[in-house]
Amino acid sequence: MSVSITVTVNGITYPLDVDPHASLLHTVRDQVGLTGAKEGCDDSECGACMMLVDGRPTNACSYLAVQADGARVITVEGLAEQDGAGERLSALQRAMLSRGGVQCGFCTPGMLISATALLERTPHPSEDEIRVALSGNLCRCTGYDGIVKAVAAVADGTA
Amino acid sequence: MTVTDRVEQVFIRPDGKEKVTGAGRYTADLNLTGQAHAAFRFADHPHARITRIDTATARAMPGVFAVITHVDVPEIRYGGMVSDRHLFAHDVVRWEGDVVAAVAARTPELARAAAAAIEVDYEVLDPLPDFVANAEPGAPLVHADWQSYGGSRSMGRDGNILGRSTIVKGDADAAMATADVVVRGTYRADASQGAPIEPRAVIAQWTGDKVTVWTSTQVPFAARDGVAHTLGIPQSAVRVIVPLLGGGFGSKCDFHFEGHIAALARAARRPVKLVFSRREEFIAPDHRREGMLIELETGVMRDGRIVARRGRLTLDGGAYCGEGGFFAQMAAMHACGPYVLENVNVESRLVYSTNQPSASVRAPTAPQTCWALEQHMDAIAAAIGLDGAELRRRTLIEAGAVGPAGQVFGEVGAKQALEAALELIGYDDYLRGELPDDEAIGIACGWWPSMASPSGAYVKLNGDGTGVIITGAQECGSGAVMGLPLLAAAELGMRPEDFTLHYQDTDSGPWDMGASGSQTTFNNGRAVIEAAREVRAQLLELASQQLEIDAAELELADGVVRAAGSPDVAVSIADLAGSGTPLLGKGSGELPENPPGETSSCVGVLGMETFLAPQLITHAARVKVDRQTGVVRVMEFAAAHDSGVILNRIGADGQVYGGVLMGIGQALSEATWFDEQGRQRNPGLLDYKLQTASDAPPIHIRWIEIDTPNAGPRGSKGVGEPPSVPTPGAIANGIAKVIGRPVHELPMTAERVWSVAVDSLGLEWIDTSGKDPSA
Repeated sequence: MSVSITVTVNGITYPLDVDPHASLLHTVRDQVGLTGAKEGCDDSECGACMMLVDGRPTNACSYLAVQADGARVITVEGLAEQDGAGERLSALQRAMLSRGGVQCGFCTPGMLISATALLERTPHPSEDEIRVALSGNLCRCTGYDGIVKAVAAVADGTA
Repeated sequence: MTVTDRVEQVFIRPDGKEKVTGAGRYTADLNLTGQAHAAFRFADHPHARITRIDTATARAMPGVFAVITHVDVPEIRYGGMVSDRHLFAHDVVRWEGDVVAAVAARTPELARAAAAAIEVDYEVLDPLPDFVANAEPGAPLVHADWQSYGGSRSMGRDGNILGRSTIVKGDADAAMATADVVVRGTYRADASQGAPIEPRAVIAQWTGDKVTVWTSTQVPFAARDGVAHTLGIPQSAVRVIVPLLGGGFGSKCDFHFEGHIAALARAARRPVKLVFSRREEFIAPDHRREGMLIELETGVMRDGRIVARRGRLTLDGGAYCGEGGFFAQMAAMHACGPYVLENVNVESRLVYSTNQPSASVRAPTAPQTCWALEQHMDAIAAAIGLDGAELRRRTLIEAGAVGPAGQVFGEVGAKQALEAALELIGYDDYLRGELPDDEAIGIACGWWPSMASPSGAYVKLNGDGTGVIITGAQECGSGAVMGLPLLAAAELGMRPEDFTLHYQDTDSGPWDMGASGSQTTFNNGRAVIEAAREVRAQLLELASQQLEIDAAELELADGVVRAAGSPDVAVSIADLAGSGTPLLGKGSGELPENPPGETSSCVGVLGMETFLAPQLITHAARVKVDRQTGVVRVMEFAAAHDSGVILNRIGADGQVYGGVLMGIGQALSEATWFDEQGRQRNPGLLDYKLQTASDAPPIHIRWIEIDTPNAGPRGSKGVGEPPSVPTPGAIANGIAKVIGRPVHELPMTAERVWSVAVDSLGLEWIDTSGKDPSA
C-alpha cells in the first residue's frame, strides 16, 4: 500500500507515491534522487540527514515522508545559488571551506542545514549559541573548530 | 630541506565544492541498474560450534536472488600475521560479528528478513571474553588448531597469545634494585571505536570474469588483494574504486566485506549493494581499539634519572588477528615513551578472545598506553618531590639520546614541544595557584613514528598546460591526498589548482598502503615530487631546444620555462604541453630506512623498535572536575607538536582539532562495553558518546618546525595520528590533581571519577565492582 503525497524540495514540486513507513530521508534520496543528505545512524543521533522542513531543521531519517505532505523542504543541494556560470556557493559554504570546516564531508550537509537554520533565526549568534545549535550534528574529523569559525565568520560578515 | 622551503598557502581542498553542495558521491549514494541489496546473518552466539545451516526457507522467499554460506566460496583463510579467518564461518563462530551467511534480495528489508529466516543450529561454547585470563598458560583456546594456520610465526604462537614482543635494553632487574625510589602502577583501558560518521558500504558488479567493487575503505589495494585471495582469482580480475570516503580513523583499514559482497553478486548474477546500519557499523567490523591491561614499574633516582622501566602489557586482540599482529610491539614502544631510560624490560602480549577483533584505530595502542605511562610519570614525579613538568624536562629525549632499543636519536623537538605546551596553557600561572580549586592542568608527552612504505604516482600534463596527478594513495578526509597538488605545483612552477587528482582506483594508481600510518604525505608526497621532477626534466629539455638555451640555465615559475635572470626569454608550459610531445612522469622515490637499533635481547621484532623521523608531542589540558558528580569538563587545551615542517597549515591544524577531540572522547565518554558473553551493550551513538560541538574546548596549537633527519617531503613528518596519542593522559593528570588521586580506568567516566574522588575524601566507599560502569 502506498500513499500519494506532494513535497516541494529545493523549489521543485514532486508528486510521490510512498510507503507509509518510508522516511523523508529515504524518499528524498531514493525517489527525488538527491543524495546530499546522509544516513549516519537512522536514529536522530548524528544529524547527517538534516533538512529544513518548512524552515525547521529536521532529522529526516526519523521523519515520515507522509508527514512532509505539502511541506517545503530544503536540502544541502538547495543552499547554493544557480546562475549561468553554475553554482555560486553561499557565504556559509565558502566559509566552511576557507576555515577548514570540511574534512571527510559526510556530516557537512547536515551541519550546513543546522547552521543555516541558526543564522536565519539568530543572525548574530554568540559562540555558545553556535555550539549549542550544532550539538545535534556529530563530526568526527574537525573537532568542530573550523565549522564554528565558519558560522561565526558569516555572522560577523567576514566570511 | 629547511623551514624556509615550506609551501606558504591556505589551500582550499579540491574536493571541497562537491562536499558543501551535496553533489559529492559516497558509496551509499551510488546505485546500479538491477542491483540487489545485501544483508548478513551474523553469529547468534559469541562462541559456538555450528552444527547445521539450512538456507532453503530463505532461498524460497519471494524477491530473494541468492543466499550464500561457506560452501559457496573457496575454503581459504586470510589474515595479517595469522591466517585465522574465513569469509563465512563454517565450524566455529568466535564473536558476535562473525558472518555465517549473506543474502541478496530485491530490497534491504527483504534481504534482512531472509537472513533472519536462515536456520542455523549451534552447540554453544563457553565464551572467552576475558583476555587477561586467556593469556594464562592452559587457558582454553579461542583457535584450537591455530598452530596449523598459515601466516607468520615471528610473533610466536603460545596458548592464546598471537603476538608477543619485548623491548629489552641493559639489565632492568639489576638497575631496579639500585633505584632510590620504585613506583608501580596498574591501569585498565576499555575498548573503543573509530566510529566514522559514514557507516560502511560496498557495491560489487561482475562483468565477465572481472569484478568491480566500490567500497568505503581506507586501503583499496588491501581490499583488492583480499577479494582476489579469498575468491581465488587474480588481482587483475578485481578493480576497487573508492568513492568519497566518509571518515575512517583506522577502522576502515584492512580487507573487510568486499569479498563477501563480490561472492554474493556472482551468485545473484546482479550488482549487489551492502549498506551497514549504525548498529552493524559497531559490531561487525573486525576493528576497534583494544582493551588493555597495563602494568608499569619504574626505578628512579632522586634527581629524576630513570634507571629502570619494567612493564607488562596485555592487549585484547579479539577473535581474529586481522592486520593487528604487530600492535604488541607498538604498544611496548609506547610504554617506554620519548624518555631517556637507562634499562628497559617491557613485555607486550596480544591475546585472542571471543570479543570483536581489534586492529588499527588512529595511533593504534598509543593513546591507552600513553594514558597509563603519563599517569605513571606524574606518580614518579610525586614520589621524588618534583613537578611533573620538571621530571619530563629532565628525561625527554634530545639529539644524541639512546632509545629503548638502541636507536641514537637525531634532532627531535620533544623538549621544545613540552615548553611550548606549558606556555600555551599558562602552566606557570597554574603553579602559582591562580586556578580555582576544582580546576587543574595536566600534561602528557608522547611520540609516533613516521612509516616508510613503497608508494607511487604519475603526473601528466594536458595540452593546455594543466595537469593530472594519478596516485594510488587514498583520501580518507584528512586532506593528505588533496594536498598533493601543492607538491607537484611547486616542482613545476605551476599553481595547485592547475591539477586534478585521479585516485582511489586500483586499476590506475600504483600500489599504496592506503590512508593509514599518517604516511600519505611522507610516502606518496615523495612519489609525486619525483614524478613531477620527471615532467620537469621533460619540460626543460623541450624548452631548451625551443629557446636554444642550455637546460641548466632555465627555471620553471609562474607557468613558464624561462631563462634564469632573463625572464622575458620564456616559453609557456601550455605551449610546451600542447606541442604534442607526451609529458608524463612516474615516481616512487627512495624508501627511507628505519634507523638501526640494538635488538639482540628483544623478541617479536617487527621494525617498530626504532622510530624513523619520530613525531614528538606534548599536550596540556585544563580540566574542571565536579567532585560531587565526577563530571569532568576540559576547559582549555594546548597541543605542541614536532611534526617537522608543516606543508599545509589548515590541513595540519584540522588534524589536531579533530584528533584532540577524539582523544577527549576516549578519555571521558567513549567505551564499548562488553557484557559477560562478549556482546556489545552500547552499539549506537546514543550510548557510545562522541564529543559534540558544545563539549569541545578551545585548542591552542603550536608547531615545532625543526630539521629532522630522514624526514619526508620538504622536511615534513606525519600529522594525523599524533593528536590522539597524549590526549587522554593529559586529561587524566589534570583530573588526578583536582581530586587528589589518579583514575586508573579508561574512559574516566563520571562514575569512575566520582568513585575515586569519594575515596580520596575518606568518605564511605561504594563498591561498584562487578557492575557495568555505564549503568
